[in-house]
Amino acid sequence: MTALLKVEHLTKRFGGLVAVKDVSFELEAGEIAGILGPNGAGKTTLFNLLTGFIAMDLGTVEFEGGSLAGLAPHRIVNRGLARTFQLCRPFRGMSVFENVSVGCLAPRVRHSGGVEARARRILGQVGLGAKAATPVDALPYGDLRRLEIARALATEPKLLLLDEPFAGLGGNEIEPLSALIRKLHAEEGLTILIIEHKLREFMQLVRRVIAMDFGEIIAIGPPAEIVRHPRVVEAYIGRTEAPLGIA
Amino acid sequence: MRRLNKDAIGAVSVLAILALAPLVARSDYFTGILTVSLIFGIWAVSWDFMSGLTGRENFGHALFIGAGAYSAAFIDSKFDLSPWWGLPAGAFAAVLFSLIVGFPTLRLRGPYFALAMLAAATIMQRLTRIFWQYTGGEEGIPGLDPLFDDPLATYYFCLLALALTTAALLALAQSSWGTILRAIRGDEAACQAAGINITFYKIVSLMISAACAGMGGALYADYQQAVTPDVFAVALSITLIIMVYVGGMGSIYGPVGGAIVLALLPELLRGLGEYRLWVYSIILMFILFFSPGGLVAPLWRRLRGTP
Repeated sequence: MTALLKVEHLTKRFGGLVAVKDVSFELEAGEIAGILGPNGAGKTTLFNLLTGFIAMDLGTVEFEGGSLAGLAPHRIVNRGLARTFQLCRPFRGMSVFENVSVGCLAPRVRHSGGVEARARRILGQVGLGAKAATPVDALPYGDLRRLEIARALATEPKLLLLDEPFAGLGGNEIEPLSALIRKLHAEEGLTILIIEHKLREFMQLVRRVIAMDFGEIIAIGPPAEIVRHPRVVEAYIGRTEAPLGIA
Repeated sequence: MRRLNKDAIGAVSVLAILALAPLVARSDYFTGILTVSLIFGIWAVSWDFMSGLTGRENFGHALFIGAGAYSAAFIDSKFDLSPWWGLPAGAFAAVLFSLIVGFPTLRLRGPYFALAMLAAATIMQRLTRIFWQYTGGEEGIPGLDPLFDDPLATYYFCLLALALTTAALLALAQSSWGTILRAIRGDEAACQAAGINITFYKIVSLMISAACAGMGGALYADYQQAVTPDVFAVALSITLIIMVYVGGMGSIYGPVGGAIVLALLPELLRGLGEYRLWVYSIILMFILFFSPGGLVAPLWRRLRGTP
């Protein structure tokens, strides 16, 4: 049992606010796990720290045994750790195919050649094969979410970080996307870490949930346990949010 | 394939018109105006390659032009080398300046790059006046050797330089390099998340842009047989940006048309006398208001029949 990602005592302050406080956890290769927490719990900041978009103050992040501290975002991607964004960030003015091909041009995968074939294969994988030539500006929101994942997949990551992949999706769009994520995990053997602020999406998807509140990890365990965990319940009810988004 | 053919036909037609124009007009004055418009074309495409594709506007392209022009003038007047050496020297000097400005500012978000370019060009214009012993101050450096004695030969050489520059930059823009530059324009953070070293691409693209502009600056010095501090002027940088906008930003070939049209327009309006600049400005405003995507490139796309 080797840890693919090992995070220890990770801390980030923004002025007086401690956005991420002494966070430690491990991810095993082939695992699919979730980070749960109310808005403002520090989930996205944690992602930004892991992917080099924000510099950490304290702590260590090891990926495949090598430190990621101080690496630029593109270097971390080329180590095999890719991410998506909570708000879709397509390359406007370009086609769906071109958007994905940018990921295929990352140095990590570039030498393997066949950019076009790889981009088409990935588009097929996420169900955008028929829309390759469509300008992204004409793409419906649900497809933008898939494109976001496709672009990250194009860099052939070992670990995929998904920042609220279901955000803004309608009820009937969530299950197909969830199925896609399960397929990527099962068939491609991809290790996946997902951020969500509602537990409902997690129940069928992940094996292990890391619950955060106020920048700290408050509980780690299987979804069924996390639902009943007193600190998790308190974190949600304390903010007058419907318990775990199930209501 | 059809689209490629139409593009080839379009390019050949434009080249043919430009090649025949001075033969038809048979006026050294007109040939001179056309020569300058071709050099403006080189400057405009080189601006578009970096700034049009990546969206990082450069408000001081004249920095590269001036660096190229003064290098060519120094080569000719101080070192007494053949004026041909001015072309590579001008390109080299401009690349050096692109690194000095680009390296610290292109890694930052925000307007730093645009402002640093504007400031650097202005500072260089001042320096040419302060170090007048070497640069000739306001008078500049006159009496340079021309590349060719025949103005027609100069014209055709500039046409060749413009055609090659445009073809090379267009090929790069349509390669995966161009895809990455347009992705940078779309979203820098997302581009990093796709594993792309955006700083590298921006800096190298600026170097390529500077090399072309510097070579154009050297051509300009050779054509004028003189160089003055005006080659560093803010007005020149702004004129180029307007040419690119009228041509169609990010299309590479459009700015060639924009440059030639706008360089010739004041001459065509000469009959209007003192109202010339009024009409010129009103035409410009109409173009930018009614066709914010430019004139030349959108027009060609419509003619070609493909988006």
